[in-house]
Amino acid sequence: MQGERRVRQSAIRMLAREYSDSSLTEVGAGEYDPSFVVTKLGARVNRALVAGVIDRMERRDGDNGPSYSGSLRDPTGAHFFNIAPFQPELHPDAEELLARFESGDRFLMILVGRSRWFEQEDGGVFMSLRTEQFAVCDKEAYSMWLSDAADATLRRIDAYEKSLGAELNQNSMESAGVPSDLIQGLVSSREHYPDFDSENYRVGVLQALSAASGRSSLIQEPIPEEESQAAGQTPAAVGDQPVTPVEPAGDLHGTIIATINARDSGEGVEYDSIILSCVEAGFSREDAEDALESLRDVEGSIIEPRFGFFRILPS
Amino acid sequence: MSEDGKYATQVAMVKEECKDASEEEIAKEFKRYEEEFLIPPEDAFRSVMRKFQAEAGIEVTKSSSPSSAQQSPEKKANRFSDLGADDRNVTIEVAVVSYTPRVQKMKSGEERQIAFGWIEDNPWETSDKRVRWDYKDWGDHSQNLAPGSVVRLEGVSVNEWNEKRSININRTSRVSILKEGGATVHQPSHEPMTIEKASESEGFVNLVARVVSTKPDVIVKRDGSGQLNIVRGRLADSTGSISMLSWSDFEHEAGALVRIEGATVRRFRDTPEVNISDTTKVEVYHDNSFASLDELSSSTKSSISELRNGMRDIEVTLQVETWNQRSFTAKDGTERVVRSGDVMDPTGRCRLTAWCDFDPKPGDFIHLKEARVQSWQGSPDLVIDDISQATNLENPAWDQIDPNDHWVDVELTELVRGGTRRGIRTNGTIVFVTNDSGIIERCPVIMPDGNRKCRKRLRDGNCIDCGPQRGEEDLRVRLVMDDGVSNVSLLLSKEPAQDFLKMTQDEVTDRISKDGQEAFLASIRDEYLGRRVAVNGLALIDDQGAMILAESATKGELSPSDAANQVMEKWGVTL
Repeated sequence: MQGERRVRQSAIRMLAREYSDSSLTEVGAGEYDPSFVVTKLGARVNRALVAGVIDRMERRDGDNGPSYSGSLRDPTGAHFFNIAPFQPELHPDAEELLARFESGDRFLMILVGRSRWFEQEDGGVFMSLRTEQFAVCDKEAYSMWLSDAADATLRRIDAYEKSLGAELNQNSMESAGVPSDLIQGLVSSREHYPDFDSENYRVGVLQALSAASGRSSLIQEPIPEEESQAAGQTPAAVGDQPVTPVEPAGDLHGTIIATINARDSGEGVEYDSIILSCVEAGFSREDAEDALESLRDVEGSIIEPRFGFFRILPS
Repeated sequence: MSEDGKYATQVAMVKEECKDASEEEIAKEFKRYEEEFLIPPEDAFRSVMRKFQAEAGIEVTKSSSPSSAQQSPEKKANRFSDLGADDRNVTIEVAVVSYTPRVQKMKSGEERQIAFGWIEDNPWETSDKRVRWDYKDWGDHSQNLAPGSVVRLEGVSVNEWNEKRSININRTSRVSILKEGGATVHQPSHEPMTIEKASESEGFVNLVARVVSTKPDVIVKRDGSGQLNIVRGRLADSTGSISMLSWSDFEHEAGALVRIEGATVRRFRDTPEVNISDTTKVEVYHDNSFASLDELSSSTKSSISELRNGMRDIEVTLQVETWNQRSFTAKDGTERVVRSGDVMDPTGRCRLTAWCDFDPKPGDFIHLKEARVQSWQGSPDLVIDDISQATNLENPAWDQIDPNDHWVDVELTELVRGGTRRGIRTNGTIVFVTNDSGIIERCPVIMPDGNRKCRKRLRDGNCIDCGPQRGEEDLRVRLVMDDGVSNVSLLLSKEPAQDFLKMTQDEVTDRISKDGQEAFLASIRDEYLGRRVAVNGLALIDDQGAMILAESATKGELSPSDAANQVMEKWGVTL
């Protein structure tokens, strides 16, 4: 298409949880128009800058050549990325990563990718990133990214909260103080997603910030400063001491089932993501882990078809 | 507590699954996750488990690739001539020529609203390069098929009848508007707009504004058929000021407050201008609380950061950095002198050209009136034509700026949304290293003026202007810098690139010939991808996007914990 300026899409700093929670996508009308994943917090993601420790890396050989897929873990979950057969310029570096990964090495990476998604037959959407460029990075660079991602997420949470009193149109959002780059995304996201508590994302931000600032990165409800410092000095203690639950909301088994139901798009739901939901609902990690195992081994109402991913047992 | 003890619980759990793994190794891995990857043992458990399972050869089910959405046999066509008589599920961009609705009785007896009309392919070209077909709209897409618009049709089919082909737009088809049709669609509001809003818009506006200046002028018609009397001027309100061009009489003098109905905002180069025609209503308006001419004069004074190509009537105060003059022979054979130099104010720097006998000294403060802005190599520069437009100020307008260290901090987003500016400093994160970074070859051909070389980049030994050449090597690094909202191309020429890479051009050449271009690029990515940099330079902003020609680019110096603390402070978050 001519006559129109094609603007490069900026790379949105995004923690894994917010991205993988998304189910709304937007396909451009024209052939070269960008497509977007719209998150609950209203980020329109065409390109993202993500980082984390490499958690999975696989190679698949297809008719068109090799492709690679993997995931990067940050404090809130995992970002899935892939490298397509038609990106041969990335293959040598991907091979190097794969070799390192398969030799048992784990390392931090920073990655720029374009959003893509797979729609499952049951209507679920699985979010991923097609790699554009990547680099192995050190802890310092990763920490800087965590701060940037936390900053960007807080900005979106702030905009989301401002949007709650506004009508779903440009003018109303503008007068509510929503930054111009987030208006379109928030209008779509508020139309699409049911209401939710943005506190869920604040927890992720706190984890990112505490990791970035060199304090402990424990998953906990925000706790008084003294305690958090104490916890930071002796992180080992936490494994032994049950974390005091903060008024658990509802029943634990129900929370697990509901989480799997809500997030399973055919691939199963990741262990960490289930546990995190329970912790956020006020249960202790230990109880949540026990409950998950009991649902799998005793009640048999959920299955773990592959390691680390859980599904509801089809009745 | 020993390392082993610290992770004992988790180690035991991994050990249970992977019997041959060494406990020491497992504990070491947990330590690494916690200290290097910032993931506490409870969260790292599953990752560590997987790692040792894989090493032990325990089958870890590979995730089945989520299948792509069903590939539909969609046919994308650029021209109608690409289409066959049986094509279904066609995607094509077309211009809508006409749309005629009609009620048609279906076989079932049911009445249905359909429509027919003409569409043309190749919609982005002039109509002599298009082909016209009939179409029928079976799906009531009237809202998206306004005559004059350009639309993308998806899921339409080809119909052939008596050897004549046409397009059926079905109920399931999707029609997306790529370009609105018809007259400019504008809010039919009669409410006057602020000048700030009007400057951003295009099309019809109503304004209440004070006339700041008017000046009769003449436009000579290009076809030589005569000339037009016009009035140029400037309007202002408390939100800003804007140029005015009246194609009919304009009798209001400077200072008058007027209400203008039905004017149009058009853009001359990058500068919006209010156009007043015969059909525009201009009348005196009474509002004692409206800002006076004196109060508005500060808003008509500009700073360098606000200059845009095509502006006129600029009032600005400057500090002179350098001043030169040169003479040349004009087209008509006369000898002429042009003076120019670099000037600064607290918001930036630019060039000033004087077509008159003006000779300030470096360090002087000067005040210009009715200056105009002309773009030179994309940078908006000031021009004066008459010595009466310039005055030397006796007193400094600000503390003398040191030209060697005058960088104005501008946030990336503000920079990208504004116009071309010299002497800026900004920050962002590197998100892309282009593949052509490194050694390039430039065209060595001497230009006709004898002073400079062509220097265009050779592609496969060819200059686009001068043909095949033996190139001269040069070093250049091209990156994309991004702050999560806006982005800009970042171009580092030889000197800044050498500092950035901490390598001389020769060292880069050696490195590439030894390890290859790919390894060289990977080394830049390893050092800079995802890292913050601070850049000083010239920002060129135009229709094609934004580019910074860097004079220097350095890694950000903020420590991670300071960065985290800044974020917490900014949003009032405590851990």
